[in-house]
Amino acid sequence: MSTDLEMDVWREQWQADVAPAIPMNLRRKVERQSWLMKIGLISDTLVTIVMGGGTTAWALLSPKAEVALVAVATWVFLAAAWAFVLTANRGLWAPSALDAATFVDLSVRRCRSALGIVWFAVGLFICEVVFGLGWTYHYSVEREPLMKWLLFGSVRIDVVWLVTVAFFGAIVWYRRRKRAELESLLKLRGEMAVSTGIDRDVPST
Amino acid sequence: MDRATLEQSFERILAANGAALSRLAASYTNTISDRDDLLQEIAVAIWQALPKFRGECSERTFAFRIAHNRGITHLARTRAQMSDPIEEIEVYDPTPGPESDLAQRQRADRLKQAVHRLPVGYRQVITLTLEGLGYREISDVLGISESNVGVRLNRARQLLQDLLEKRK
Repeated sequence: MSTDLEMDVWREQWQADVAPAIPMNLRRKVERQSWLMKIGLISDTLVTIVMGGGTTAWALLSPKAEVALVAVATWVFLAAAWAFVLTANRGLWAPSALDAATFVDLSVRRCRSALGIVWFAVGLFICEVVFGLGWTYHYSVEREPLMKWLLFGSVRIDVVWLVTVAFFGAIVWYRRRKRAELESLLKLRGEMAVSTGIDRDVPST
Repeated sequence: MDRATLEQSFERILAANGAALSRLAASYTNTISDRDDLLQEIAVAIWQALPKFRGECSERTFAFRIAHNRGITHLARTRAQMSDPIEEIEVYDPTPGPESDLAQRQRADRLKQAVHRLPVGYRQVITLTLEGLGYREISDVLGISESNVGVRLNRARQLLQDLLEKRK
């Protein structure tokens, strides 16, 4: 069989598989998902406004001068988080071209950026917890021995430890998932460049 | 682009390429439910990219680029969990027809499974060729040169022949 004829036969067989039609309600699903993504972006902004604004309002309304320290620290943490995330994601918002090779390259860089952000998030979280606990302990009315206060101080402190455990659990899970994804993407990029190295199959990272 | 125009374009792209997009999604997935999920992701991505589409390429090229990009993302997320993909493929099986149809369907299924076994770089080129795209369009979709499309297609075809021979 000539190669063209063979390809025609394959094409006919391939296209004979008329897959089920795209569901009628797809557009509704698509719109809902797009809406959820927008909500995600808005919620990040809202967290900033609520946390920053809330602590600022608290500092302005409270007669205690030390509350101002909380407001300042909150804004410092928020600014650091935004600055780091924006820097880490620079050039990663959209592909420079829409083709598959560029997209894979972008996905690899996004994965590496996400892994970098994980370390930053761990550092920032530790700073926040140390600051929060330090501030609370320092300005508490009846100061108990530190270790006793940290372990049996109050339900609020227990909640901090629970959140910390949950945070680190989530970080370990997320980092493992991103590493597996990166490994897989690198392998895919290698597979996509299988034929030759004669042109820009694999854009440099 | 206003909303009504967007909706019209979206409907037109899905109507014209729905079956092809579904086959492309199937080439990246192992099960019907995964294929449907991926198809939905592709549709979402098309909807989101449409406002930025300025007609630099055909709507088909635009839709196929997005489909392949989403397919790659899907593979990257799920690959680590895959064991032996080809044995697990659920073949879409509509209501049984006459025997000749059955034989035809079996050949189509064999081809689909063989395509699924190809390395991604070859699979992308062969699926686009089987959908009727020329070298130029494939090159636009994948971001490789036309000469490389030719090299890959030849190699993919050889591998496909070998796989189909083995499965006879």
